[in-house]
Amino acid sequence: MSTMTRIANTVAAMLAMAAAAGAVLVGSGLVGTALAQDTITALVGATVHPVDGDPIENGIVLVEGRNIAAIGAGVEIPANAEVVDVAGSHIYPGFVHPLSSLGLTEIGSVAGTVDTTEMGAINAALRVEVAFNHDSALLPVNIAGGILTTHTVPSGGLIRGTSAVMNMDGWSWEDMTIKAPAAMHIDFPAGAVDDSDNDDLKKIESVLDAARDWHKAMQAFEAGNAPRPPRNAQLEALVPLIEGQLPLFLYAGKEDQILAALDWAEGQAFERVIVVGGPDLQYVAERLAADGIPAILNGVYTMPTRRWEAYDMAYQAAGKLFEAGVKFAIGDGGGGFGAANARNLPFQAGSSAAFGMPKDAALKSVTLWPAEILGIDDQLGSLAAGKRASLIVTSGDPLEPMTQIRRVWIDGKEYDLKRSKHRQLFERYKGRIQGEAE
Amino acid sequence: MKRFKSQASIILASLLTSVALADYTPGVEAWNIESAPPQQTLVVRNATVWTAGEQGILEQADVLVREGRIRGVGTDLTAPADALEIDGSGMHVTPGIIDAHSHAAIIGGVNEATDISTAQVRIEDVVDSESINIYRQLAGGVTAINLLHGSANAIGGQMAVIKMRWGASPEELMFEAAAPGIKFALGENPKQSNWNNDDPRYPQSRPGVAQIIDEKFQQAVDYRSKLERMSERRRARNVVPPRPDLEMDAIVEILDGVRKIHSHAYRADEMVMLINIAESFGVTIGTFQHVLEGYKLARRMAEHGAGGSTFIDWWNFKHEAHDAIPYNPALMAMGGVTVGLHSDNPELARRMNLEAAKAVRYGDVDEHDALIMITANPARQLGVGERTGRLEEGLDADFVIWNGHPLSVYSRVEQTWVDGRRYFDREADRAQREALDAERRELIAMVLEEGKNDEAPEESAAEDEGPDWLIGYRASELAHDEFCHAQGIDHRHGGHEIDFRSGE
Repeated sequence: MSTMTRIANTVAAMLAMAAAAGAVLVGSGLVGTALAQDTITALVGATVHPVDGDPIENGIVLVEGRNIAAIGAGVEIPANAEVVDVAGSHIYPGFVHPLSSLGLTEIGSVAGTVDTTEMGAINAALRVEVAFNHDSALLPVNIAGGILTTHTVPSGGLIRGTSAVMNMDGWSWEDMTIKAPAAMHIDFPAGAVDDSDNDDLKKIESVLDAARDWHKAMQAFEAGNAPRPPRNAQLEALVPLIEGQLPLFLYAGKEDQILAALDWAEGQAFERVIVVGGPDLQYVAERLAADGIPAILNGVYTMPTRRWEAYDMAYQAAGKLFEAGVKFAIGDGGGGFGAANARNLPFQAGSSAAFGMPKDAALKSVTLWPAEILGIDDQLGSLAAGKRASLIVTSGDPLEPMTQIRRVWIDGKEYDLKRSKHRQLFERYKGRIQGEAE
Repeated sequence: MKRFKSQASIILASLLTSVALADYTPGVEAWNIESAPPQQTLVVRNATVWTAGEQGILEQADVLVREGRIRGVGTDLTAPADALEIDGSGMHVTPGIIDAHSHAAIIGGVNEATDISTAQVRIEDVVDSESINIYRQLAGGVTAINLLHGSANAIGGQMAVIKMRWGASPEELMFEAAAPGIKFALGENPKQSNWNNDDPRYPQSRPGVAQIIDEKFQQAVDYRSKLERMSERRRARNVVPPRPDLEMDAIVEILDGVRKIHSHAYRADEMVMLINIAESFGVTIGTFQHVLEGYKLARRMAEHGAGGSTFIDWWNFKHEAHDAIPYNPALMAMGGVTVGLHSDNPELARRMNLEAAKAVRYGDVDEHDALIMITANPARQLGVGERTGRLEEGLDADFVIWNGHPLSVYSRVEQTWVDGRRYFDREADRAQREALDAERRELIAMVLEEGKNDEAPEESAAEDEGPDWLIGYRASELAHDEFCHAQGIDHRHGGHEIDFRSGE
């Protein structure tokens, strides 16, 4: 095969790949629109909370197909619209979970049901969406808690692979993929904090260097100056990160580790870095704000990092980040059990508001801000015309554990909350207990 | 007890040559205090008072406290002239929170896991009165906790109910009014399902767990009849008394109804099993702990008289938690069970009010009834219902002042009182953190100054100090039940190896 033919083949292959990737990105949109094309629904009578604007009393949310067509107090309702009266309720966008293992895990202690954690240190070529179990029992339960979008991430090794932003409902992972790959994930080794010779860090660096070399070789090949470098799935998967097309989620827990990770990332000149850390993020808030680095705050509900710290150290972390002007989203602990109870995400935002963060910021930290950080705010994270109609109808403030979620719409269609196993068992045994009483 | 890391040892050494810090007390860690705050006569005025009793919620009400007891709850109470007046306007007052399932202040291991029955061991012997958890949970409104043995064996150790008397000795923490109790455990933990165990012991199945409990009860019946025969014939010199057996002594107490069973249990079948065995020996079970499928046998539990002490929403962390639902408290209550919510986790224990709030969310439990699930009901389950858990005249002055609705996520604890002593005060806490911060900076400066020519201390390898994302804690302050250790699975997220399945 001549060099020219090889180039032509490669270009063709790349175009095909790009087309395939595009299809994944817009696929669910096409399907959703096709199915719901004729449906126009008007939710009326509720207080509408767009998140990026003031609440609208007695507002209307007009849903056309998959998307929100309009919101406001005086929206004209088309004659062919189905009108749904939700008077006395409140409408909010669904929560966007910024970091979970939803879809990858079922029962934490049963290994056969857990796909969160691959063996080995370098797993760059893993993509989690391919293992997203669309019929996981965890999904309906967490939808009933208002989690309508998940950023599902891999968690094994140093370079962990790519994550995906997933719709919580659908008929297969292909349907449900909103964005994949969403980011590359690297764990900054704790041992590298004051040891530049740290073996784990060196391993990460050598792989990144090899990926850069591979990419150069590939470019040389594409320019016709060199033979094609041999295929290498791990290195190839890192090219979008190196090229700045894919953001990096960089994991670092404690203060010194976060600072070391930030320095390291600067040296590596990544285009876009998001730090995933614990409550210690508050101690590097100024730096994060100055560098324009967004953060995922895990562990609002954990013990203070140090025994001598104040009891509310973790509760006030979000408020400190907010004060400093950091763009952040509240996460939780992740892990198998975290996924089962991802529905508790909004309460962590609420508790942060009890200890210093303004309430409206708390709401944004689990809706709009995670959407912005994940680059899906054109579709989700607030209620606005043109965005997906993925919303919750509640009895009140959704950051309050007392509040009930009454109804849910995902992509313009009402979701049957009875699909939650918990609601099924509740109804079934309520009947039995009441029957026994008679 | 290893209480200081190497850096702290240097700080102490440097103090030998410097007495700059007049108020520094060696041997007392940050937040620990050496003696209890004074008992006060006080009245909280014009608050919303959640009594957790028959009076329900009182608006614009007062709570009067003298000599460690509540002397009145109502409007326009007359207080002694020297009483401390607390303006409760806009505030809510509730009874102190009672956590009926905790391991938060136990030194040296929660589980004596060696044997299928360890009824002879006593948590009372290993209470950690200096655990930071006591202070932190006071900051969340908790005033009494039940320190339970772990769930590694079918018949575990004897429990210890303590009041959160921060600064007191282990003996002084004991809640003397509490009914003696013992931990039992059913299901995956006693049958060692999640252990990487090279040396398994009997039993390895649920039928085995049932059999061994039945057998131990039979042995105790025999042992008791020997003891009884002894007392009948104690004048006869030729009768040899039975060899003292502390394990059997404890199980005899169970058979006699003196010591209550608090049994870790998940599935309906195993709870029906234990009720069955208990009833065949004339025993009434105190509570089922966790009781995740309690909603499946609510009427049966109520008939038998067992209480339910549960998580509100933990589920699916192992197979036997597959059918756990957050509606469980509402359904058990509907079936007539005395329902309490517990933490089983030193961190979760700090926000039990929000766990109660979820009982409103899941199953429409009335807000006041939800509060009762973390106050009056767990108090009843521990046999201290006539001493604490409600705001009523004559009960212990164990109460919490909140800056808003006690079940609201936006509310904070302002003050927590136990026995009429103010053990937590948010204002004092804020002053204390500044003082500690200043002291810490001063100490670091001293160490840097004095240690200029010293070599850096070697990092002492943490032996069993818990996960590496928590610093400066003693192992006992992070104590959980067996399960998390048995799992040995790391889940790294954001540098935090948070495994929320820990606990049990």
